[in-house]
Amino acid sequence: MDRRAFVKRSCLGGLALSLDHWGTSPAFGQDLIPPVPPIHVSEPVGTQVSPLRMPGLYPGRVVEISDARSIVANRVSQAAVGEMLEQGMRELTGERDLRQAWSKFIQPQDLVGIKINPSGAPACCSSPEIVREIVAGVQSAGIPARNIFVYDRYAYEMDIGSYQALVPKGVRVTGVQEHKLDASGYDPNIFCEANFFGEWETRSYMANIVASGVTKIINVPTMKDHSAAGVTGCLKNLGYGTFNNVDRSHRRPFSFTDPLIGIMCSVEPLRSKAVLHIMDGTRMVWHGGPLTQNQDFIFPSGLILVGTDPVAMDTIELERIETKRSKEGAPSVWSRDPQSLTNDGAAFYQDATKNLYYRQPHHIAAAGKLGLGVSDRKLIEHKVIHIA
Amino acid sequence: MLCDNARSGGQGPQSWRAPRRARWQISLEGAVRGSPILQGELLYVPSLAGFLNAINIRGGRLQWKFKASAAIHSTPSLGFGRLLFGCDDGKVIAIDAASGTKSWEVVSDDEVWTSPVVHDESVFFGSADGNMYAVRAETGSLQWKQMLGGRIYSTGHATKGRIYVGCGDGNIYGLDAASGQVLWKTATGNGIDCSPALANDTVFIGSQDFVFYALDAHSGTVRWRYEAELGITSAPAISGDLIIFGCKAGTLHALHIRTGKMIWKSRIGQTVTAPPVISGSVAWIQAGFTFAVDLSDGRVLWKANLGNSVQSAPVVTKDAVYLAGMEGEIYALE
Repeated sequence: MDRRAFVKRSCLGGLALSLDHWGTSPAFGQDLIPPVPPIHVSEPVGTQVSPLRMPGLYPGRVVEISDARSIVANRVSQAAVGEMLEQGMRELTGERDLRQAWSKFIQPQDLVGIKINPSGAPACCSSPEIVREIVAGVQSAGIPARNIFVYDRYAYEMDIGSYQALVPKGVRVTGVQEHKLDASGYDPNIFCEANFFGEWETRSYMANIVASGVTKIINVPTMKDHSAAGVTGCLKNLGYGTFNNVDRSHRRPFSFTDPLIGIMCSVEPLRSKAVLHIMDGTRMVWHGGPLTQNQDFIFPSGLILVGTDPVAMDTIELERIETKRSKEGAPSVWSRDPQSLTNDGAAFYQDATKNLYYRQPHHIAAAGKLGLGVSDRKLIEHKVIHIA
Repeated sequence: MLCDNARSGGQGPQSWRAPRRARWQISLEGAVRGSPILQGELLYVPSLAGFLNAINIRGGRLQWKFKASAAIHSTPSLGFGRLLFGCDDGKVIAIDAASGTKSWEVVSDDEVWTSPVVHDESVFFGSADGNMYAVRAETGSLQWKQMLGGRIYSTGHATKGRIYVGCGDGNIYGLDAASGQVLWKTATGNGIDCSPALANDTVFIGSQDFVFYALDAHSGTVRWRYEAELGITSAPAISGDLIIFGCKAGTLHALHIRTGKMIWKSRIGQTVTAPPVISGSVAWIQAGFTFAVDLSDGRVLWKANLGNSVQSAPVVTKDAVYLAGMEGEIYALE
């Protein structure tokens, strides 16, 4: 018998979160996008709210480290990303001693989850090289390898990325589900519920490894365009990588990734456990995300972003992707031009002017309104370190 | 690794005929990542639900299934009338191939996704705990274990006196089969989960550093190297002067075995991690779709959207092709 208690809360259909879309999202004004239905959340009562919970120890602070040597001929350099991560951790925390820097987020008794993003593997996924550096950092804080879990929702995507073979001995590599319909790895009591398009299953459940497995999470998203969400970064990797049954939130050409992504990230214990975000921007997918394998749209940007505020980090990511798209002549991710829509997946993967949905980059600001971080660019403390 | 016929899909040279229909189809409990193997009338298929399934190929009916204590990623091997396979709880289990009765089991300290290799009187296997193990084929009693520098997801290749294996630490190892002693190791630029093949005293293996290597089997010296577009997990298959393997970029590469010169390259899917299986003049491979490719020039002769697997390898016989889909569907095509 499950003795935990759970409580439901409603998110007002996300309408309140969406109100300020009117200024930036023409499609709303033109009634191109249907209203967001009510979204209900069931989460545990009395979860001990962590002082590290998002936006974490450093709200609004984003450390960006760039090093052109970090990716050469499409290969990530172990040495370069190691140095980048060290500098990033020192700059974020103000600690000279790296062990002290990592110890701000994790303690020796923790079970640490490293939430990777293998969707898009092998062309663009969380680099095993960066994951290895994170494992080393976590170990430096006194965590034994057996208490470190590299995980994601889809085991088969992790297999394609070869993470099992590439991480250090002792580290557990875990996929929540073995195939699309496998729901055995999810907690039936913690869920987000909404009926977006009349779908049969209206709930999305939280993965057990988050609900009751690990005690801390280090989030390792990649820097990618996303056909429905606008971009996929810290928030989407965490929200849609923790709950199942999420692709029901978009049906061409509409997407309710805004506000569902932010709402999912606000659910406890996910919000409390996600204490650090390290975005792999060694490669940047500026079009065709999240799954493209088309190297024409994957740029060796040689970046890593470090922070505790997922909203601020995704705001910077969005800026970077917008800049690149503009440079390449691709339309803005904010575009709501119906002429850009296609139902032909192949066209989307070959043509940067095409899209499958009206993208919803406003999901980042909506998450900010939920208290998950700072989306106002003027309030973001963006520190840039160029190594080479 | 599926280079030898006792463990693999390659059932010997067959004349090329495109499959036209499914003779039967069966759904197993649990997803499938390993490859089926065939002996006589029984097709053996491991599943992540922890079952080793024996399917009678005459009617496509399940004849028996053995329940292991954990998921089975490992492709089984056959030897001494037994089926041998690894499990995610670190066990390697030997069961009677006819009845499915357990003969013995041996335990390592982490998951075993590799295939046990039967050679002479021994079984060799690598574990994610970083050890290569040798146990007696008859009893499963330990002969030796040798700690390597990383996790092992590469199936070893055993010959008289030697074991060759790739490792997550990026090294290719040559071990003494009698003692496990490391005779040589050769570094690559990233970890290895590809399984080696051996021909002409040369070890062939790919690495996640995007390079395919040919090494002198006695010394580990690099004879030639060939650069692909992305990492290489797909174990190579050899036919005459050709060596064929897949790359994660979705391409199939055919090289001259002595020089490493590319003979042809063919784009077949989004990504390729499974090993090709050669049968006569055709290479079969699962890469989302299942493909039959002309060995002479890499042309796709046939393809079918069956099962979405990128890890399993088909079994090709004179009159049928057997293959496993990712979610546990097994097909017999004729």
